[in-house]
Amino acid sequence: MIPLWLIPLFPLLGAIILGIISLASSDSQKGAPEFLLGFIGLLFPLLSFMAVLSLSFGGANTPIQETLGTWIDISFLQIQFGFLFDSLSKMMLLFVTGIGSLITWYSIGYMKHDRGFARFFAYMNFFLFSMIILVLADSLPLTFLGWEGVGLCSYLLIGFWHKDSQNAIAGNKAFIVNRVGDIGFLIAMLVLLSVGGSAFLSYEGLNAGLAGLSQAELVKIIPALALAAFFFFFGCTGKSAQIPLLTWLPDAMAGPTPVSALIHAATMVTSGVYLLARLSNLFVLVPSVLSIVLWIGLLTAFWAAVAGLFQNDIKKVLAYSTISQLGFMFMAAGVAAFDVAIFHVFTHAFFKAALFLGAGAVIHSLSGEQDMRKMGGLIQKMPITAIVMLFGFFAIIGFPGFAGFWSKDLILEKLFEFGAMGPYLYAFALLTAVLTAVYMGRLIIMTFFGSYRGSLEKSESIHDPSFSMLVPMLILTIGSAFAGYLWATLIPGANWFEQTLAPVLSSAQNHIHVQSVIHLSPLVFALVGTVAAFFGLFLAWFIFNRPVPLSKDSSDPKGFGASWTFLWDTIHQWTSVFLVKMASWFMSVVVNHFVLFVQWLLVGIVEILSDGARAIQVRKVRLQMGLSFVGILFVILIVYVYGGAV
Amino acid sequence: MELHASYIQILALALFAIGIAVALTRRNVFFVLMGVELSLNAVNLSFIGFAKTLAFEASIAGQIVPLFTIAIAAAEACVGLAMIILIFRSQDSMDIDNYSNMKG
Repeated sequence: MIPLWLIPLFPLLGAIILGIISLASSDSQKGAPEFLLGFIGLLFPLLSFMAVLSLSFGGANTPIQETLGTWIDISFLQIQFGFLFDSLSKMMLLFVTGIGSLITWYSIGYMKHDRGFARFFAYMNFFLFSMIILVLADSLPLTFLGWEGVGLCSYLLIGFWHKDSQNAIAGNKAFIVNRVGDIGFLIAMLVLLSVGGSAFLSYEGLNAGLAGLSQAELVKIIPALALAAFFFFFGCTGKSAQIPLLTWLPDAMAGPTPVSALIHAATMVTSGVYLLARLSNLFVLVPSVLSIVLWIGLLTAFWAAVAGLFQNDIKKVLAYSTISQLGFMFMAAGVAAFDVAIFHVFTHAFFKAALFLGAGAVIHSLSGEQDMRKMGGLIQKMPITAIVMLFGFFAIIGFPGFAGFWSKDLILEKLFEFGAMGPYLYAFALLTAVLTAVYMGRLIIMTFFGSYRGSLEKSESIHDPSFSMLVPMLILTIGSAFAGYLWATLIPGANWFEQTLAPVLSSAQNHIHVQSVIHLSPLVFALVGTVAAFFGLFLAWFIFNRPVPLSKDSSDPKGFGASWTFLWDTIHQWTSVFLVKMASWFMSVVVNHFVLFVQWLLVGIVEILSDGARAIQVRKVRLQMGLSFVGILFVILIVYVYGGAV
Repeated sequence: MELHASYIQILALALFAIGIAVALTRRNVFFVLMGVELSLNAVNLSFIGFAKTLAFEASIAGQIVPLFTIAIAAAEACVGLAMIILIFRSQDSMDIDNYSNMKG
């Protein structure tokens, strides 16, 4: 049996080795050979993937718990440093390490001839390490360690090309917005600690503690649990880019495209959904927080889908589609269908990575052009990339048979069955699904159909990417076509995914019983979903299949599109940023002047006193020594006379 | 012949008085420093003298404290001499009464 600590150790080793190489070669003009660096950078994620594979399919199907030692041991807090490998972390690890390895492989081709090659792969390995720690941890504080680690790596990778200040600003924004969410995570941990002691901070202890509570005890601590759940969810909105902390993700597209694929589509943003599933036993006890999760998910999905319609930058469209899909995952979690949420995380990882890598290939061959208005007709020049993107596209809109079809239909079905409100939720989500097809159709049409609108001298050099980039893209394409069959509701017996997750999530999901008002067969949902996808597709075709006017201005949206896109930026500007600015004004004007006044007062007193003291100085060394001796004698005399009782 | 403890104290007191007198009366800065050292050692002697009056276990502290004092005095002498050399270079004088120009 492979010890669990090997899984995070491999990428950590890779990060250390590559980091040392990067530092050592920072003075040389050329840097270390890229072939070797790429090999090291890919080897360690692959080794870790192999370890996960052999643990998942080689051993017994029981959860493995491994404690490495005591991490924190003080009177009110005892935390063990340990890993937990159950079916939930297994599913997450499979695609985190698997897709992580594929994207690292792709990056070897994408980052070729970049001077920061070694640094890039060191960051990528460190990111995978943090993500594995996040998923594999058996306690909340250790998860928080990984949670912070992915935030740090996201900052480093978004600002990877830091010579352009825009990229550095985007990195800062991602980091700061994430920190706001992290405060929620910290507060929630403190609340749990104060409710149940340090036992509540480990997942097993939390589940056992919540299950062991009597009804009377439960009623007493429900408000505290609701507070904890709410703040955990607030932390999730930061990491998973939900309302209100979602503004960082579109800006994060400033990083290299493989980074966007890895961090902001396939792995890091899913950690919020993972945390909800991991704490499912806590969340089902407080349905009020779950309904907040549901509504935030619904609103985020809808808002981001509309915002996706206005973008001209190919990566920005994908960024908003990620936010929208994450909204779908939160909807599923909000109706306590945590396994469905994780299933959508799983399929989304495949098709979103495929879409991003395809977009990266397009950007790469157009030498950095991201504006879709300067693309078009690329299906003839880069057919394989077009096929990859089309497969990802069919998966995301829910084309029958593709991965997204199964997972999105499951989410819609669960929404419909959620009590009397269900059909309305279903309709709202279905509208968002139609919008998904429209904006994604717009992306495909503007990029691959019509005629090429870019500058002509480039058009001969446009071609499919090299072999090393194509292979991972094709593997992901296969995934986005077939990953859905792991839980296909229409095919009897094809529910491996549900069965695998059942040991971890079923107790929570059985806790909430909401009777659906109308019973429909899954076939109806599949049919409606298919109609929605086709309707959106045709809508996109009718609206967008026409010549796009040439434009030289920036790719940012304008007019209503701009105010919709930057709605949350504006709200942040007027609320939190404004408050911080007010506080800093108060600090700099009122508090600062008060401190200056106190300082001036003290200095004045000290100067007066010191002038007085200086006047009695005699400036003779021997005389002063003699005086101090006399003083000591005087003290001794007093002590002698009064017997030291003074 | 057993040395009476009070004799040691008298000797220590005499040494201390001589040290203080030297420090206060001599104008040469080296003699001032030597006077200070002498009174320090007088105190050490006093410690040992009192330690002698106690039982063996209880006298350990009285014997150890002088060791610390000697170590600290060595360091203090080191710093003091270095400072005196520097002051001598800038003042061209050994007279401690001349060292009074640090006027505030």
